[in-house]
Amino acid sequence: MAQVERRDKQPEPPKEEPTVKEGGLNRRDFLKIGGSGVAGLVVGAVLGREVFPKASAEEPAPEAPAVEGEAPVEAQYKAGYELAFDPTNCTGCMKCAVACAEKYGTFFFPDQTADTVNLEFARIRPMRFQYVDVVSHCFYCQLLPWAEGSDKAPCQEVCPQDAILTVPEGEGEEGYYGMGYKWVDREKCLGLDKCWRCAEVCEEQFGSGISFDPIEKKAQVCSRCGGDPECVKACPEPLALQWVPAMRNGRFNAQAPSAMAELYYRKLFNARRTL
Amino acid sequence: MAELKGMTGKIARVDLTTGTVTTIEPPEEVYRKYMGGSALGVYYLFKEGIVNPEVDPLGPDNMLQFMIGPVTGAAPNARSVTVTKSAYNFISIATSGGQAATELKYAGWDGIQVVGKADKPVYIAVIDDVVEIRDASHVWGKGVEEAEMILKSEVTAPLETKETQLREGDMTPEWAKIRPPKGTGFGKKRLASVWLIGKGGENKVWYANVMTEGARAHGRYGPGAVMGSKNLKAVVIRGTKGHKLADKKKFMQLVGEIQALERQDFFWRQFGTAGIGWSSSIVEDSYPVRNWQWCAWSDPNVRSIEGAFMDQASFIGKKACPGCVLHCLFPVEVTSDDPLMDKAMTDMPDWEAMGMVGGNLGYHEMPGATPEDTFTGTHVDQAEHLAKVQFTTFLHDNYGLDYIEGGTLLGMLMELRQRDLISAADLDGIDLQWGDVHAVDELLKKIVSREGIGDVLANGTWETAKYFAEKKGKPEIMNYPVTTHRYGQPAHDVRSGGDKNALEYVTVCRPSEHTGGGTAGFVSGDLAAAIAGQNGKCSTDSLVACIFPGEWAGKTVDMVKTATGWTDFTEDDLIKIGAREYALTRLFDINTQQLTDPKEQWDKLVPHRWFNDPTPNGPLPGKVAYDGNSDKLFNEALPTYWKLRGWTEDKGIPTLETLKDLGIDDIAGDIAQVHLKA
Repeated sequence: MAQVERRDKQPEPPKEEPTVKEGGLNRRDFLKIGGSGVAGLVVGAVLGREVFPKASAEEPAPEAPAVEGEAPVEAQYKAGYELAFDPTNCTGCMKCAVACAEKYGTFFFPDQTADTVNLEFARIRPMRFQYVDVVSHCFYCQLLPWAEGSDKAPCQEVCPQDAILTVPEGEGEEGYYGMGYKWVDREKCLGLDKCWRCAEVCEEQFGSGISFDPIEKKAQVCSRCGGDPECVKACPEPLALQWVPAMRNGRFNAQAPSAMAELYYRKLFNARRTL
Repeated sequence: MAELKGMTGKIARVDLTTGTVTTIEPPEEVYRKYMGGSALGVYYLFKEGIVNPEVDPLGPDNMLQFMIGPVTGAAPNARSVTVTKSAYNFISIATSGGQAATELKYAGWDGIQVVGKADKPVYIAVIDDVVEIRDASHVWGKGVEEAEMILKSEVTAPLETKETQLREGDMTPEWAKIRPPKGTGFGKKRLASVWLIGKGGENKVWYANVMTEGARAHGRYGPGAVMGSKNLKAVVIRGTKGHKLADKKKFMQLVGEIQALERQDFFWRQFGTAGIGWSSSIVEDSYPVRNWQWCAWSDPNVRSIEGAFMDQASFIGKKACPGCVLHCLFPVEVTSDDPLMDKAMTDMPDWEAMGMVGGNLGYHEMPGATPEDTFTGTHVDQAEHLAKVQFTTFLHDNYGLDYIEGGTLLGMLMELRQRDLISAADLDGIDLQWGDVHAVDELLKKIVSREGIGDVLANGTWETAKYFAEKKGKPEIMNYPVTTHRYGQPAHDVRSGGDKNALEYVTVCRPSEHTGGGTAGFVSGDLAAAIAGQNGKCSTDSLVACIFPGEWAGKTVDMVKTATGWTDFTEDDLIKIGAREYALTRLFDINTQQLTDPKEQWDKLVPHRWFNDPTPNGPLPGKVAYDGNSDKLFNEALPTYWKLRGWTEDKGIPTLETLKDLGIDDIAGDIAQVHLKA
């Protein structure tokens, strides 16, 4: 993948609500016409988020997970793609978490992690509930304006510092393009000792997407590596963790890990378990 | 002391009698000599005097150790090992996979040593540097699966669990109106890992395991009984400190190479050890059928021991240890017409389970048929047979019992019933017939609660046979426990010669261990290669890594070097760790049991069946162990083996020169001296 440069200054938040780049529609117009491009291909609830029509049906199918040791494949940054996790194929090997922790631990704390592998830096969090593994990560949820009076992500809405950003396509970290990704402004974030509203609202009502780094204790949220996620490339199991076109509000997928594990128990083992 | 890499340099010593936790900091030369895991554990058994015969295995003075090694953590195939003195009064070293080993390294410990005895049920909670002793009365008496899930949610890192902070004012008014905050705060981002015992360990069944993740076990020689004797239900670990490595870049590159090779290892990735059963029966003639009266079915169409059949019938997932791409554990939900078994959750069965609590208990034959009859059932009948194996696996796992020793015990009792050497009345009215899973269920309940005859059975196969031989006045009963060194023989027979050689079980440092290594050397007669294989296995258990992935071949030394920064570490150093463990465990077994003639009192304790009951059918019929030449085995091969190890040829006691060469005369010299002179 492209080399990621460390930046001392975080990207500025977008001034205006991001709009669809081609066709000149803003999100609300898009919602009215019910989807186009990739979104039009998706059956079911198309609930709108940053939409990039250029990510269309021509987009090549996701490739098989790269096996380490092979020649590196040139990164293809995919707009409108989403992480899809399948518990029936996941083995809970933690490779995704190691890949994520290595990338972001090194990115933010190069000195402290020069000799240490520490999964606490991972934004993706596999959790083993005895026979069932749940891979928690940020689902990229959005509130619904008609019901909840906002179209921000829930964590963004409750953040008193406006520290959780959505960086528009083409902006932000070098090499991070192809999708509007989430990013935490670490200067603004108050840190776990003072504030954990983002994590609390996420767990209570959505999933479990926010964690805190063990050094500065600032919030961590999945940025999808700007469109080319390391976790997906690290995953050794076919279909367990994919990067696939899914033009949906992430709420479509969101579920708290323990609730997800209970559901998988029922589905896989035909048994009830309260976790 | 310079900061250690790879290992953390700290072992927690928990004294349950006084309720105190102290930190042991082994010097670097001790790590260099014993590395970690099993060898380091054995070192402490000597250093702390557990080797003395006065230390009661189930008394407060015994020490139970959970150990990991320098690569445990960021390396693939992480395992943990328990080291203690077994209730059988010999060495107890047992390894297990699962995430807890990695978690312990992330918490910043190389091991946990438990001494003393709590006055009420407790568990040990490890959260990074903080080690606490907590009340466990709410999970005492609960099965392994249920208790583990309760304990998992009770231990969280400081980075987690905060009281509620969210207020309605943080949300939009519309949102707050629909779904106001519930005030639950936030919780776990990664779950704690648990080592625990079931009812078997609580009631000190001698062959009780320390379990983890429902179906993984420190599976042999009863560490669970020692844990239960200390009133310790569980060790629960959550670590956030990560794994420090000397050369992280190179180490992670090696990890990547191993994982890439594992990705192409179709054998393990397909069915795990469930893929072995078939060939063990129809090729090697080494499968346990009805307490080893047979080692194969005359009709090879017994399909319920095939990985492919099991997969078609029941596999619903696959689970890996941290960093492992082989995922050898396949969870199943038992599907059966029998409501007793239906819907139990367990795994596979893996190779030992399908043998020891499968074929060994006569589960695979149709009613009334013998293993020599044509199989007349349908594929669904086969699936029901598989369900019986899986359910019995579940019972053992959930009670926390070793199903190898457990299967040996049940198989022996069934054969004693078959031969009318005991009656149903001897088993408190339970009519234990071949293939009767309901009777097995009833008997296991008695064993784990030590109720009635269960109190005898809970002391294992050998003690049970002795009890019945005396009670019934029938010494021939001692012909039927298929145990080596008083512990159950795993599902690899030595009579046909297709799988293992008898000398392997006689010499392996943990009684009846089937994963002791050196198998090819023993089969071909190259004893030097066999010894190197055995030493290599002990070194692997000191890393602590897994013996399954051949993908580590040629990389192990580099893994140690890049983890620890010991640039002068060599293959020879690695193998010597195993040689040290062999010498020490030999002395341990001789000393704890005060053996004056080890060959007669210990080495010759092999199953009567080996030399007296030839394999009746299958691909290699008419064979007995070591071609029937027990004299050659014990009086030629064994002394040659001892000599190659630098042990005395008459008793197999490591000589003082050998101990000096290995650098372990400081802790073992005095004990060796006593036995060399005796």
